Amino acid sequence: MDTAKPTIVLVDDSAAMRAFFEQVAAEADFALHVYDSAEASLDFLAERRPDLLFVNVMMPNKDGYTFLKELRSNDLHGDTPTVMISSKDYAQDRAAARELGVVEFVAKPISKKAIRTLVEKYTDKSEAGG
Amino acid sequence: MSEAYLRFWGVRGSYAAPHDTHLGVGGNTSCVELRWDDTLLVCDGGTGIISLGEELMQDAGINEMMVVFTHYHWDHICGLPFFQPAFSPAWRIKFFGPGDTAADIEKRLSDQMKAPYFPVETETWMADIQYVAPHTGGLRHGPFEIRHFNVHHPGVTYGYRIRVRDKTVVYVSDNEVQFLKGSIAKRIHEFEEDEHELLERMVSEQRTAEVGAIENVDILIHDAQYTPHDYNKKRGWGHSCYVDTVHLAIDAGVRCLYLYHHDPTYNDDQVAAIHRDCLQIIRERKSDMECLIGREGMKVPL
Repeated sequence: MDTAKPTIVLVDDSAAMRAFFEQVAAEADFALHVYDSAEASLDFLAERRPDLLFVNVMMPNKDGYTFLKELRSNDLHGDTPTVMISSKDYAQDRAAARELGVVEFVAKPISKKAIRTLVEKYTDKSEAGG
Repeated sequence: MSEAYLRFWGVRGSYAAPHDTHLGVGGNTSCVELRWDDTLLVCDGGTGIISLGEELMQDAGINEMMVVFTHYHWDHICGLPFFQPAFSPAWRIKFFGPGDTAADIEKRLSDQMKAPYFPVETETWMADIQYVAPHTGGLRHGPFEIRHFNVHHPGVTYGYRIRVRDKTVVYVSDNEVQFLKGSIAKRIHEFEEDEHELLERMVSEQRTAEVGAIENVDILIHDAQYTPHDYNKKRGWGHSCYVDTVHLAIDAGVRCLYLYHHDPTYNDDQVAAIHRDCLQIIRERKSDMECLIGREGMKVPL
């Protein structure tokens, strides 16, 4: 059943990054929802708390930090497990992500294998799947 | 008669370099003035803004300005504690930069003026200060239309696209061009063969975004801090190798590139050598782009 699968949300303006996730989702047992901007994801996130949220830092309109800060002020997403992803592999960015309570900061590029590993690690798939 | 110009008050990156071997280029950190008659827009408040402030105090015809900050690293804000107009009740100053709220911006600018780091706090600023938070839809200051965009540098850092008098000026003081491309090259062994096409798409996307931000502008003021040799040692510090900067500007159809945010360890001769190499690249690519060294004191008509 689809409802038993972990729900993963990716917010990233990079079509290639979304394609990486879509290819992983096609072979794995989770439900993926992808959005190309923070604004585009708002309707879904207003109603649903994903099992794991991936947010890119540098996006054309709202950046990932501002977006996640806003989400954190919403009761539904105060502790939504979030992985911050970015090409900006800088100490200051890792620190900014940590302050927002992310479970990890992952520097791009991210392989399909790394995506699978992150999803399994933070959705506790082995236990959920019995 | 109407007069519009931009003037470089500070061109160094990282920290001031007031050495006699460096003063042909300039020793002060980031600050650029854009002026149309009595309307004044300033990009960044490095040590260069101190001399600008001294000159403004002698000019009775102007008492209002906007300062836009790319980010809050010291070399971009450390002139503010000595910026005389902020201490004068005759002045109205708007500060704009990264931050979620006006209070965020105020905190980031004022934290450097606290004991034990500085003898007086921003409460001693007598000017009418307004902090303006980013919002969609852009910003306007008199005839200047200003749009900000995110650039590749530690923390949230902005570049500015400024339209005035039918000219477009882009100010990108700190930006590490082609960083993702370099990361992919370094880590390609982590990826399966069937992932390479997507990686190439990522590189292409990054290039499209970098070019799009500066496409066809009249004047680009851009980070060109490192030589290739030094960039190899300082990749990941958030600054560009000048070779990448000049190729980016050519690809984007920029009309005139000003090399900016010069490394403070480079003397005048070293910056001149960088400039010569840039001109050689431009010739080899058969581009008609103009390329100049951003020099302190240089005034460019708009």
